[in-house]
Amino acid sequence: MRKIWLIVKREYITRVKTKGFVIGTLIVPLMGIFSVALVAFLVRHSEDQNVRMVIVDNAGGLAASTARSLNGAIANGKPEFTISESIERPASPDAVQQGLRARINSGALDAYLVIPGDLSQPFELHTRNPGNFALLGPLTAAVNQALIEARLRARGIHVDDVSEIARGADLQVIKVTQSGESVEKGQTLGIAIGLVILLYMSLLMYGIITMRSVLEEKTTRTMEVLISSVQPFQLLAGKIPGVAGVAFTQFLIWTVSLGLLLSYGAVMAAMFSPGSSFPAIHVPISLLIWVGFFFFGGYFLYSAMFAAIGSACSTEQDAAQLQWLAMGPLVFCMVIYSLVLNAPASTASIVLSEIPFFAPVLMPLRISIQTPPFWQEALSVVLLLLTTVGVIYASAKVYRIGVLMYGKRPTLPELVRWLRYS
Amino acid sequence: MDAISIENVTKSYDAVTAVSGVNLQVREGAILGLLGPNGAGKTTTIRMVMNILVPDEGTIRVLGKPVSDKTREIIGYLPEERGLYPRMQVRSLIVFLGALRGLSEAEADRRALEWLERFELSEWADKKLVDLSKGMQQKVQFITAVIHRPPLVILDEPFSGLDPVNAATVKDIMLEMRSQGSTIVLSTHRMEQVEKMCDSICLINKGRNILDGELRAIKQSYGKNTVHIEFTGPDTFLSDPAIASINRFGSGVEAKLKPGADPQQILKAAIEVGAQINRFELLEPSLNDIFIEKTAHA
Repeated sequence: MRKIWLIVKREYITRVKTKGFVIGTLIVPLMGIFSVALVAFLVRHSEDQNVRMVIVDNAGGLAASTARSLNGAIANGKPEFTISESIERPASPDAVQQGLRARINSGALDAYLVIPGDLSQPFELHTRNPGNFALLGPLTAAVNQALIEARLRARGIHVDDVSEIARGADLQVIKVTQSGESVEKGQTLGIAIGLVILLYMSLLMYGIITMRSVLEEKTTRTMEVLISSVQPFQLLAGKIPGVAGVAFTQFLIWTVSLGLLLSYGAVMAAMFSPGSSFPAIHVPISLLIWVGFFFFGGYFLYSAMFAAIGSACSTEQDAAQLQWLAMGPLVFCMVIYSLVLNAPASTASIVLSEIPFFAPVLMPLRISIQTPPFWQEALSVVLLLLTTVGVIYASAKVYRIGVLMYGKRPTLPELVRWLRYS
Repeated sequence: MDAISIENVTKSYDAVTAVSGVNLQVREGAILGLLGPNGAGKTTTIRMVMNILVPDEGTIRVLGKPVSDKTREIIGYLPEERGLYPRMQVRSLIVFLGALRGLSEAEADRRALEWLERFELSEWADKKLVDLSKGMQQKVQFITAVIHRPPLVILDEPFSGLDPVNAATVKDIMLEMRSQGSTIVLSTHRMEQVEKMCDSICLINKGRNILDGELRAIKQSYGKNTVHIEFTGPDTFLSDPAIASINRFGSGVEAKLKPGADPQQILKAAIEVGAQINRFELLEPSLNDIFIEKTAHA
């Protein structure tokens, strides 16, 4: 036990002291702070988003009501659209449009809207920046309102402001969970995708760190010195928790800093830009606990596999080829996670999230979207634990033989044979 | 009890037989020189004693116990292929390995500083291993092999890469360890080192041990069959039929006699041709000669 502890300590201390760790750990909270600051900054300096527009109304009678409906405001409270001119039934539409194009190109104008003479034809938005999709919603609504207003007028119903009549209700999505209800503003999807990426990346990263750590001991020939004092199993039993400690430290720093950021993001944003609103996202503690559990379960499962692969190879190149054995299931999770995201309670999702190699990514994903029945969570945990123990046992066997083997990379049948050695 | 006992050990890699029927007993408290040309099977033998390789046939015992992962921990081991964590500080590296070998961390640290001082590495204690020269790394590795004062030490080419001053330090330490009761197995090509410090030798060639025993007894068995002659004047007497081979040096020659030849006969012949004899000495064969003879004729 003492030796295992010494190895855990060495793995932890040498890793935590590296520049890579310090930078990697600080960069996430710094990026968080930076992005909050950036959002606040952009909100504050969004004057440029004001769209200077001309409406060319070939049908007649629609320009005024369209302009009236384009009354949205941007984040800093200024109007989204400035209609500098409305041209009704121009004598020569082509010449007018040519003039407007010249004004856009000279920078005096951002866009012009063409209402066709025949209203069954599409409306046209001529703009320098067609990538700004945010304009399309309000413009479509405004044009449609103007149309409805015109059609009502044709039927003898006169209204000053059709938006009063045509205004619909917003649909608010409310998420129902065991613990109550919460208003949904897209945070569930955001958290779910964020979780998948976080779990995938960190399982892969820490697995590869473990593999490289084993490989380094082999390539530098430190292994031969080490095994004259410790059993290979002790080495493995020290290395994996040592790296896990590093992962835990990093996660703790990330979680605390991101938690603070999410809680105080609004306050911070207000510091940068008074009066702006920043969405506060609430991550349930129970989800964090599940994620932590599945991450560490998955970490032990995958790092044992990565360690065995590292032990079986003598060079980085060999390892790069064999590491697909362990990376495969993780990559598969990334390929199919959208399936689970769209239908978390489908049979396929349930089965996939119970399979121990996928559970560390897919089960937290399911939990974050729609809490599964407790038996499914429990079964997944039990299966993951049992598989992890089995994989560690098998990896230790490969490791015991692999660490002292140099030369040609073993083939798969050879690895299987190593498993059978007592 | 023998420190190491190797009986009839054979080991093949695929088609190549690296070691074939080797027998060897290493007496406790002795320094054994494991000799042999390149590729003779020395390192394979050592790796089997370390239980890194498993023999195909035969048994190996260390301090009376069959080799296992446990016996490995009794042995202070300097492998042929050197290497330690390159990015660790020298001092913490030595402490880590010392602690793994059963010392308390405080004791390991105390000894680490002592050893670093002895090898004149004190100012490098806080540097990373990768910043040290090859020779310095070699010294650090030697320290890690002996820091826990193991009863049995196996050193594979301990002098390679060391300058004469450091080689002498390593030699002194080995003699010191023997006087404290440790058994040392030393694999090397440096005959003069073996000759100076080993109690017994084992000569391996092509996977077999062709000569082993107490160094003194081996040399005596060859008898004083070599004459060292320093002279001026004609050297025609060197073609005397009693001389098997000669080896010329700047100041004289070493003549190896045929079995049963009388050295007096050579002296007489030299005087007859008018050579001025400055020195005439009967010698035991050097280990180098024995090595060359044994391996060339095998």
